[in-house]
Amino acid sequence: MDKKQYIISGKKDRYRLDSRVLEELIQDAVARGYRYLKIKAYGQHGIGGRLWKAGKEAIHIEIDGYTGQRTGSLGFPNTYIEIMGPASDDVGWLNAGAQIIVHGNASNGVANGMAQGKVYVGGSIGARGMTMTKHNPRFDPPELWALGSVGDYFGEFMAGGISVVCGFEAQTPDNILGYRPFVGMVGGKLFFRGSHGVFSQADAKLVSIEDDDWNWLIKNLKIFLESIKRPELFEKISYRKKWQLIIARSPQERLEGRSRSMQSFMDGIWEKELGKGGLIGDLTDINRSPIPIITTGDLRRFVPVWENRKYMAPCEAACPIGIPVHKRWGMIRDGRMDEAVDLALLYTPFPATVCGYLCSNPCMQACTRISDSMSPIDVTKLGQASINANLPELPPESGKKIAVIGGGPAGISVAWQLRMQGHKATVYDMAKRLGGKIASVIPDSRIPQEVFSTELERVEKVISHVHLQQRLDKKEMEQLREDFDFVVIAAGAYTPRTLPVPGKERMIAALDFLIQAKQGKAKPGKRVVIIGAGNVGCDVASEAHRLGAKEIMLIDVQEPASFGKERESAEAVGATFRWPCFTKEITEEGVMLTTGEIIPADTVIISIGDAPDIEFLPDDVTTERGFIVVNEHYQTTDAGIFAIGDVVKPGLLTDAIGAGRKAANAIIDIIDGKRPLGDTRRMIDRSRVSLEYFDPKYFNSGVTSFDDLDHYGSQCSSCGTCRDCGICVAVCPESAISRQEREKDDFEYIVDETKCIGCGFCAGACPSGIWNLVENDPFTGISGGMA
Amino acid sequence: MLSNAAITPSTLSVKDLPWQILWNKDKCTLCGKCTAICPVNAIELGVFRKRIVRTSLDTGATQSSDHNIFYGVRQKTDPTYSCVGCAMCTLVCPNDAIIPARSDEADKLRFHVNRGGQPRTRGGRRNVPGSLLDQIKFIRISMLTDPALDAGRHEFELRTLLGRVLPPEENLKFVEENGWIPPVREIYPLIIGGMSFGALSPNMWEGLQMGVAYLNEELGMPVRISTGEGGCPPRLLRSRFLKYVILQIASGYFGWDEIIHSIPEMKVDPCAIEIKYGQGAKPGDGGLLMWHKVNSLIAAIRGVPSGISLPSPPTHQTQYSIEESVAKMIQSMYMAWGFRVPVYPKISGTSTALAVLNNLTRNPYAAGLAIDGEDGGTGAAYDVSMNHMGHPVASNIRDCYLNLIKIGMQNEIPLFAAGGVGKTGNLAANAAALIMLGASGVQVGKYIMEAAAGCLGSESDRCNICNIDLCPKGITSQDPRLYRRLDPEQVAQRVVDVFISFDIELKKIVAPLGRSTSLPIGMSDALGINDRAAADRLSIKYVV
Repeated sequence: MDKKQYIISGKKDRYRLDSRVLEELIQDAVARGYRYLKIKAYGQHGIGGRLWKAGKEAIHIEIDGYTGQRTGSLGFPNTYIEIMGPASDDVGWLNAGAQIIVHGNASNGVANGMAQGKVYVGGSIGARGMTMTKHNPRFDPPELWALGSVGDYFGEFMAGGISVVCGFEAQTPDNILGYRPFVGMVGGKLFFRGSHGVFSQADAKLVSIEDDDWNWLIKNLKIFLESIKRPELFEKISYRKKWQLIIARSPQERLEGRSRSMQSFMDGIWEKELGKGGLIGDLTDINRSPIPIITTGDLRRFVPVWENRKYMAPCEAACPIGIPVHKRWGMIRDGRMDEAVDLALLYTPFPATVCGYLCSNPCMQACTRISDSMSPIDVTKLGQASINANLPELPPESGKKIAVIGGGPAGISVAWQLRMQGHKATVYDMAKRLGGKIASVIPDSRIPQEVFSTELERVEKVISHVHLQQRLDKKEMEQLREDFDFVVIAAGAYTPRTLPVPGKERMIAALDFLIQAKQGKAKPGKRVVIIGAGNVGCDVASEAHRLGAKEIMLIDVQEPASFGKERESAEAVGATFRWPCFTKEITEEGVMLTTGEIIPADTVIISIGDAPDIEFLPDDVTTERGFIVVNEHYQTTDAGIFAIGDVVKPGLLTDAIGAGRKAANAIIDIIDGKRPLGDTRRMIDRSRVSLEYFDPKYFNSGVTSFDDLDHYGSQCSSCGTCRDCGICVAVCPESAISRQEREKDDFEYIVDETKCIGCGFCAGACPSGIWNLVENDPFTGISGGMA
Repeated sequence: MLSNAAITPSTLSVKDLPWQILWNKDKCTLCGKCTAICPVNAIELGVFRKRIVRTSLDTGATQSSDHNIFYGVRQKTDPTYSCVGCAMCTLVCPNDAIIPARSDEADKLRFHVNRGGQPRTRGGRRNVPGSLLDQIKFIRISMLTDPALDAGRHEFELRTLLGRVLPPEENLKFVEENGWIPPVREIYPLIIGGMSFGALSPNMWEGLQMGVAYLNEELGMPVRISTGEGGCPPRLLRSRFLKYVILQIASGYFGWDEIIHSIPEMKVDPCAIEIKYGQGAKPGDGGLLMWHKVNSLIAAIRGVPSGISLPSPPTHQTQYSIEESVAKMIQSMYMAWGFRVPVYPKISGTSTALAVLNNLTRNPYAAGLAIDGEDGGTGAAYDVSMNHMGHPVASNIRDCYLNLIKIGMQNEIPLFAAGGVGKTGNLAANAAALIMLGASGVQVGKYIMEAAAGCLGSESDRCNICNIDLCPKGITSQDPRLYRRLDPEQVAQRVVDVFISFDIELKKIVAPLGRSTSLPIGMSDALGINDRAAADRLSIKYVV
């Protein structure tokens, strides 16, 4: 094919050709085999692109005049374009292989989106040159060469290719790379020669030119200069030290990102301005350094506390005497059966009589096991076993003397306790024998006499100073006051209360009836009506039945308050209960109610309580409605006189015995020069005890297979008192708990606070509710660093 | 509960609680971490009885019933210890054996959290998930109609003005007559709103302040932070960082004597003074920092003895009318810094906001108006105040802006919107919506707690125990055992991350609108919503 140029003018006649028409002419010429075209351009768009029709044959296009936008756009590798003057926007746009030479400046957008080919500009270029360029690995990278400088935003989103900016005769010699180049650049490189301004440091970086790069540059610089017909400049602009290289940052480098670390800012700027410790370093020394979320030692929010014996067990708290029943079961668990039995005597002179037979056992009613529907441990077995309890050796007498007026349960209790503590107690009683109502009133059916007499014998060993059949008057009382350090009044209530109704003389007082019954002298009729259906009334009913009564009715103004064994016995003998019944009169036929109805009765017994007989009481001791007024230590308004039992308030046997014990303790405290405090311990919260350890089928109603005391002991939850099981040691996830021996066979579980994380597992697992998780003390740690 | 105990009206089962602890016996290793970490002691080690019945019909077989016990994690049902759903247990569990789950129905606990007649108080936001702001779309996307901007490529000046911008002629008049014109600050439109030193832990407060300082000094972003009402540490008052700080004065005036004492020693002026009249989360209600939170540190900064409760009354005690309060307070505060520091009031969202605004427009000193909407957060408030009191911020801001337009002052007195901005995590979108509705900037509090410190609170009533000093992340607790879980340096770093990402997102929104040199304040033609009523109310396009 001839090298002769085929000339196409962009004008026909006087009219400029449409870009479309010129394109058709060029494509047609190429199709017809022309390979050297000369275009006279008049601003037509996209000249020289898309010339694939020549196949692998080279097409040479020379453009004179005013080439339009996007010259050589979508150019093919076979295309060689030479623009003989300056070029408009977007030269080499989306160039896919054409080589384009511009003999002059080129305006904006040079090589935008170029993927292959070369653009050689013999001058400077405008904004956004070499933007969005790519490098497809199947081909050589695209190249953009500019002899002078480039405009603003050069190389934006450049993803590949090589550009070279020679900085010769630059339009902007102070900054040949323009404003903000390389924003979003992810690939490719730029060789340049001359000064530059700020470029996107986030996207690109300056690197030194290695030999391979330099060799490529030198080799291709020659070609470039020859292409733009300025070969003479080679010597002038090929001084290696003048050249610099910018490449895109790798994604990994981008991640490193920010210039200054926060730590460096804190140390170098923040604390430098504010002072050590930052904002509040001058106000506090408290260590504010980071800690882990699971902490030990001082940094724990909660800490476990081993609260052994801090709280009363419910049984102990419910017992009016305060017998620590759980402690006795604990001794049994430890194999110390004798001690468990003997322990009772520290609290009561009548463990068998009362705990074993007469008591309604509030301890069992309070038992924690009931809260999980399990039957309480039967304490009566232990009570009955206490018949064999051994007395401790009595201490020598101190010289202090206490007179006790009344030898019933209350009086015996206080004298017993005082003597046990080494003080001499002298008991006065009107009766022939000690024991008060236990001896004289309570039916034999409820307490085997040999049990009571055995315990009474034991009492007599302790209380050796007893004056029976002594009725005191005021004068003698005054004398006792003089002669003794303290006087305790425990005279009981022996004056039956009655109703002020017509025919009241026909009624028998329950107290009298019971005393006579016990002596075998009472003879009730066939039909007995008992007015007052309390526990004493129930005792009367049982005795009346024993002595021959057939129809027994107890009436009351309200729902009867009777309960326990007394009630059960009365019901067992067929006694009926009726309420509300208001007595109007006692007639020969029986009891006439306010309704007019008559309940037929041969014998009417009144059982609405007894009043104290305290005529001997000094006038300066305050009473109220016939009872002696006392404080919580059973001290009367005379500090030297105490009053306990039914003279203070009608109550259970255990109330009387407990009052005796408490009064004795108060007296002992006063003798010792202490202010009496009583027992200040509170009852344990039952929910702290874990009953899940116990098999509910044991001791459920009807199951009696475990009737020996050892088994009872094993089933007591030992509320509030450590049973030394070691479960906490096992359950602690940090192995922070250990058992330590202490003096006198005692022990202690302790927590290693350097290990404990305050999880409270010990508290959750403890069968007896000993461990408690409490808030740690307020943190004052000045130094405490990492735990 | 104990099996034979009597129930009371307030006896609850696990099912009745808002959160149920799901515990997996097979996975649990009984390490104790969950019970150790639980902020409210809602869980404990339980001893469980397990009955095993073995029976058979084979001839001669013995039937048996035995019981074993096993240990596990038990959830308490006492309302005092009810699970708050924070899931710290889940966080610390090495075996993924435990997680709280939200009850599938309205809980029964809510009927019983008023023991002794004391209604429930808590922290957080109103328990209503979702946000109207999220429904607003930016419908004006300029591709060919305006110069299409590229958020990543173009430079943006996302700045706003805090301060009274007088019209030029009035400016001239002011200068001639007074030799003074109102001070104006050019600041970043996302402001960290008032959270006091006391409501926040020292580590949290320091982290926020440090992050803000970093943004200013390292990244050139003029971010500002309000102190909230609780004073300001003396060191900060005397540092150059004070210029990044908006000092808040509220009805309790805590810490202000310390601020006054430090004025002569200040190196720089604070950014502005915010007069707090109300809080969006609990409008019309005051604050109370309980005595147990008032340790020696808080006390020193607030200028009070430690160990006493600090009430901020619902109202300022010496102000009796809009005119009086606004004029009096603004004047006083301007005087403190020689009329160099802008002063503006902050009110809770209210149907009376226009009245306040109108008053401010007549006061040439008023530097702006901040409105805190009903979705704002708080450290402590009555549940009823939080859930039922207040005004949504969008319509409040919109009404105010449209009113400013009506009187031709929309460029003169900036409005700042707060309360639930970024409530569901869409911080930039919510901020942009409010800006285009007319706000000059937005304030965030709860969002920054969540994003910068990992606050666990939610509008499904998760955690929200900011008020009882038990914050499991150490954000709102004054207990070093808790706040030392929070590293100020890391909080600061997160603040920086939040602002940078916000900046990118905000650009992504404003670039297609063709805005790069000024915020599109009030550019409501860009907004649309697929709710006809909301569109009408906000005077924006209804789009479906």
